[in-house]
Amino acid sequence: MKDLLLHRPAWYVLGPLLGLVVLGLYAAISERFGVVGGYSNVVERISGRLPKLGWKAWVLFGVLGGSLVYRLAAGRSNIGDGYGWLTRTFGGSGGHLIVAGLLVAAGVLIGFGAKTAGGCTSGNGLGGCSAGSTSSFAATATFMGTAIVCSFLIKAIT
Amino acid sequence: MTRTKATAALFGAAFGFLISWGQFADPDRIRDMLLLRDPYLYLMMASAVAVGFVGLRLLTRRGARAFLTGRPITYERTRPQPRHFAGAAIFGVGWSIADSCPAPIAAQLTQGVVWSVFTIAGIWLGILLFLKRQERREQVPERRALGGLAVDKPPG
Repeated sequence: MKDLLLHRPAWYVLGPLLGLVVLGLYAAISERFGVVGGYSNVVERISGRLPKLGWKAWVLFGVLGGSLVYRLAAGRSNIGDGYGWLTRTFGGSGGHLIVAGLLVAAGVLIGFGAKTAGGCTSGNGLGGCSAGSTSSFAATATFMGTAIVCSFLIKAIT
Repeated sequence: MTRTKATAALFGAAFGFLISWGQFADPDRIRDMLLLRDPYLYLMMASAVAVGFVGLRLLTRRGARAFLTGRPITYERTRPQPRHFAGAAIFGVGWSIADSCPAPIAAQLTQGVVWSVFTIAGIWLGILLFLKRQERREQVPERRALGGLAVDKPPG
């Protein structure tokens, strides 16, 4: 079982399963699946903009719980040491500060951008595209295209 | 509402488990996909959308209602506006730096990737900036309207 979990399943297994999760939320409560809305719910609650946490925050809590269950069932993490290209490029204690700063900056762009676009990879990319929303298709094509171009730029300068 | 929240958590948990299994929380995996070395992400997303798209149409064609809330199953379809392109481009830049997006970042946290704390703090800050900007923009028409009323007041 642990060996099975430590190797990623074929895309044609994982993709349809994730599609069923998106479909399942529509079938259960008639709502679009998305994760950035959960982060937003928490921010709005803490800053007093919401009187209580909504269902979207519980999607986020579920993601945290589900990944913890995976970690426990698999016996170990399947994520490599360090943090990808960032810790490989910026080493040492000074480098760690740069990595932390870049991750905060990336997070700001992710949070602000996803809220502006009305969803993230899951909300626009899976939920919105499953609904056939042209705005979600446009947003998905844009963030994928931008991320691909930026990744090649990062590779070129590092 | 409690049942709705429990159901949301359940589907979120399934999602968190599956993306962890698919190794989407690993920044190097995402980088390989964004550098077009590995087609897994694109094939996975296409097949997920295909299942969701067909399933949702079957549900709505039959006039199905949500089994928990009893509401008719509906979905929003909107036309692209400039904010969709601008927001997605900003998101894409952040995605390429962190090699991760909101759900996998949450999965990183529970898999012990301490670096994710910084990305999560950034996401919250970005959302707060968005909310403040939105509130400022909503206040401008209100002020204009109030200013208009003041001008329209009869003198004396």
